[in-house]
Amino acid sequence: MSAPTVGRRSRGRTTRERVGGGSLRDPRRALALASAAVLTAAYVGVLYRITDVVGGTETLLALVAGTVVGAGLLARFLRPAVAFVLALALFVAGFAWYVLSVPNGLLLLNSFDSVLVDTAALLTGLSVLRITAAGTWALGFAPAPVFLSWYFAVRRRYVPAALVGGAALALFVLTGDAGVTLALLGAIGAFGAVGFGELERHGGRRAQGETLVVVLAAMVALPLVVSVVPGGAAGPLAPSGGGPATVEGSLLSADDRVPIQGSISLSPAVRFTVESDRGEYWRAGGYDRYTGGGWVRTGGSRPSPGLLREPPGNTTSLRQTFEAEASVNLLLGAWRPTSVSGAAAEGARLTELGGLQPAEALSAGDRYTVTSAVPNASPDALRGAGRAYPERIEERYLGLPESTPNRVERRTDRLTANAENPYDTARVIERWLEANKNYSLDVTRPGGNIADAFLFEMDRGYCTYYATTMVAMLRSQGVPARFVTGYTSGQQVAADRWVVRGLDSHAWVEVYFPGTGWVTFDPTPAGPRRAAERASVGDARGTNASSVDTGESADEPLTPTPVPGVDGSTGTETARGGQGDRAERLVEDTPAGANDTNGSAGVGPSTPREGAGNAAPGLDGGGGAGGEGGGPLGLPRPSREQVALGVVLLVGLTAGARRSGATGRAARAVWLRLPARGSPTEDTERAFARLEYLLSRRFRPRRPGETPREYLAVLDAGERARRVGTLHERARYGAGVSRAEADEAVALVDALVRERTPLLGRLRRSGGAGPDSI
Amino acid sequence: MNDTDADAESSAGGRSSADGGRARAGTAHPRGGSLSIEDVRRVAGDVVENTQKVIVGNRAAIEHIVVAMLGRGHVLLEDVPGVGKTMLARAIARSFECSFNRVQFTPDLLPADVTGVNVFNRKSREFEFRPGPVFANVVLGDEINRAPPKTQSALLEAMEEGQVTVDGETYRLAQPFTVIATQNDVEPSRTYELPMAEVDRFMKQLRLGYPDPAEEAAMLDRTVGTHPIESLEPVAGSETLERARTTVATVEVRAPVREYVTRLANDTRRRAELGVSPRGSLALLRAAQARAALDGRDYVVPDDVQREAESTLAHRVRPGAGTNATGRDVVRAALDSVRVE
Repeated sequence: MSAPTVGRRSRGRTTRERVGGGSLRDPRRALALASAAVLTAAYVGVLYRITDVVGGTETLLALVAGTVVGAGLLARFLRPAVAFVLALALFVAGFAWYVLSVPNGLLLLNSFDSVLVDTAALLTGLSVLRITAAGTWALGFAPAPVFLSWYFAVRRRYVPAALVGGAALALFVLTGDAGVTLALLGAIGAFGAVGFGELERHGGRRAQGETLVVVLAAMVALPLVVSVVPGGAAGPLAPSGGGPATVEGSLLSADDRVPIQGSISLSPAVRFTVESDRGEYWRAGGYDRYTGGGWVRTGGSRPSPGLLREPPGNTTSLRQTFEAEASVNLLLGAWRPTSVSGAAAEGARLTELGGLQPAEALSAGDRYTVTSAVPNASPDALRGAGRAYPERIEERYLGLPESTPNRVERRTDRLTANAENPYDTARVIERWLEANKNYSLDVTRPGGNIADAFLFEMDRGYCTYYATTMVAMLRSQGVPARFVTGYTSGQQVAADRWVVRGLDSHAWVEVYFPGTGWVTFDPTPAGPRRAAERASVGDARGTNASSVDTGESADEPLTPTPVPGVDGSTGTETARGGQGDRAERLVEDTPAGANDTNGSAGVGPSTPREGAGNAAPGLDGGGGAGGEGGGPLGLPRPSREQVALGVVLLVGLTAGARRSGATGRAARAVWLRLPARGSPTEDTERAFARLEYLLSRRFRPRRPGETPREYLAVLDAGERARRVGTLHERARYGAGVSRAEADEAVALVDALVRERTPLLGRLRRSGGAGPDSI
Repeated sequence: MNDTDADAESSAGGRSSADGGRARAGTAHPRGGSLSIEDVRRVAGDVVENTQKVIVGNRAAIEHIVVAMLGRGHVLLEDVPGVGKTMLARAIARSFECSFNRVQFTPDLLPADVTGVNVFNRKSREFEFRPGPVFANVVLGDEINRAPPKTQSALLEAMEEGQVTVDGETYRLAQPFTVIATQNDVEPSRTYELPMAEVDRFMKQLRLGYPDPAEEAAMLDRTVGTHPIESLEPVAGSETLERARTTVATVEVRAPVREYVTRLANDTRRRAELGVSPRGSLALLRAAQARAALDGRDYVVPDDVQREAESTLAHRVRPGAGTNATGRDVVRAALDSVRVE
């Protein structure tokens, strides 16, 4: 008759039921939705990090929550095709909003090429954080994938849901914003959603669910094992900090971001020689966006014109000629470079923050010349510079992550209560940091906000920590500041020659003053830093490593050489960020001898481990085992990640144990030894159940049709067992047993259990007792 | 079982019988009052022993018949002729000091030939009832399947009701009353097969089987002179049997056992076209009670049920048409698969 009709009708009904949503009481449904939520959390987590850095977290969360609710409601009656169109519309609307809110956004649209280039850049590792209007971008991006994936999840179509969510996450994996942890979390969410969803659709049983849990736990645990195995992955997801990275490696990569690491070492290898009239800080690049766990440079770079704009205010011209002693991917120069020339600087690019970038890496022997206009405004001039900051400066250089604790601002308020102008504020902070924190390369990288942690929880750190903290404190006071990396002046080997080693790499602070521009401050105490550097060079020479020295530097004594006053300013409170201090600091020890301990890293900054990168410092490498070289699990300090990992392993092992029946056996073992007590009848029956269990372990279980009496007879069980059997028979089928008889049964079985207990029991059995021992 | 329990019960039983009645000379069995379980065990044991003076071997069959008598049931013996069915019935009847009648069922046998008939007494000019062979404690219905259904049903009504009705007049049968019927299954063409509904009324169906050579030789040796049945002495009175039945009815059947029986019956219903009827379950429980008493126990254990299951259930089961399985196979399968709890 009309079988198809029936089929169609029933299918229709099923669909309606399914769309009905509800039935969260089905654990498979609940787990599948929870997994979908994990996946969503993974990529929304990336967006959250972005909005945390640039502002707008609450808006984002409200938007995501609203979208999830909306998707849940619409899923009841919207057809998939319509939903898809709606998601597309959301995406286009979000993108349009972003374009409209960006200055010159519409112009950008006209130049289709640049959109393509930007997209390609994003997909090849350009952090979303480098987008100038990253917050707007995040808000515009979020609704479409969240809507579509939840629409499908609520309709029980977990595969499309996982695909949409996975695509969103994949985008952030490509941009490098999703660290390994978030990516793994998302993968587990996607896998779990599909897996539990399939179980739900096909009526999977509990055992299958447990197997799935085991697999998920293995997904988390196995990457760790890989890193333990020799020759395993180079960048495992292990709750430990980077390996033996160098300060230089962490600061001076060609990348547009600086992650902050834990313990770190110094490379004594020579990088540059500089011919210059004066020692200066050789600046490599600046960073404007503080993510709480590191630094990002927003905006792009452009080809540098031959002559760059000079800063306003009084400047001193300084001509420097750099010669690379090793392969380096950097162009250095004292702030602020006005022109660059030489073969090596061909095609150099200029970042929006005034740093130079080479077209291609320099090799040993390459030379280039930079002319800089060094600002030399006096302290008084800077004090009087006022706070009339240009809007573009305020927008860019005052941002702090929303998650930055208020106590940073409160502490800074208190410290700088007497400072009446930005210059004094900067000086107070600089001095306070120099005086109150110890210099050390051996630190545990804190989780969360680095500035807050350094300010309140750490008593030591190195230049990255000092500079980061100072910038955060200044920004909390409304003073535009940025984080700068480069090299200190190095070892002076002649009146106008400086040898710059890897260990001279440094991070410091630039503060903006109207009328003067960016002025250098350095909150890192100079003495301890130099001592550490001297020790490193000494060690390297002691081991006869090569490339520690150039011909000139080898014979110089390892004693500080005072540097002639750099300019006419007086005292410590000089312009240009305390020139006096810096002058002292610029005095580098002059080592003699030659060699390289760190022979490795080659030149050019070793790339810092991006492992659980900067996108999610809250989730990554807080363990900070660093140079102490512990394995992933080698240290007895459980970090949050280790605890989380432990929980995952525990859940996996529990599920696995349940699958293998170990929990059941354990429960049995306890039950066997600690029986509950009740009425005489119950006690006797429990005693017999325990006896039966013992016998089943020793011989075989009682067959279905076998009566207890037959069972004991067939097994030729011993006297005590038969007595228990008789008592059990009376208790269960007859008039019952007395208290004394019940106790007798329990005592008999207790004795049998004791004899069966491993070790003791084994000894007894090996004593030749046959089956009758039970 | 353990002896201490049995001793305790036996001494208790001894006391109660001493209080309840006077011991009868010549036998160890008390009269009057109720019998203890231990008394029942001893009486039943004596009867079995006594019967074995006549019947060589086949102790299990003797016990089964005693169990059926104690459980107020009737027995269907199904076997070839000449294996001692009649002698077995007579010996047991005599051991219990019961009256015994034998009816040979033939195709021309009428219901009145079984139940009795009203005869006109010329002297008193009244009809008076002349009781048929069914009026005895133990009735052997030989080759019951050779009589037409109407005659069969006369006997079956007597079995079920414990009474017969002749010309509208109802007469109570002797108590205790046990029918031991035999079926001849060698000549199926000349028989009326008993309908399932009627077979269901027998508590047990048994097969004696041929004695093994040694037993047969012993039997010949014993019977070649005067048949020992002639000199067989009773070991208990028929009123003892009646009181033993009362005692057996009090044997305790706790919930786990009742449930076990129910599950067994259900299992046969699942396995066969026609499974065990509720009447079958009841018969099994009664037989199990008697079996427990034979064991000297005042409660039924699953072992009792298992021992009685085959003989009480197999003939009530009709396996599916297409299968080779017999009722016995179905019951065995049920026993193997139903969990004893």
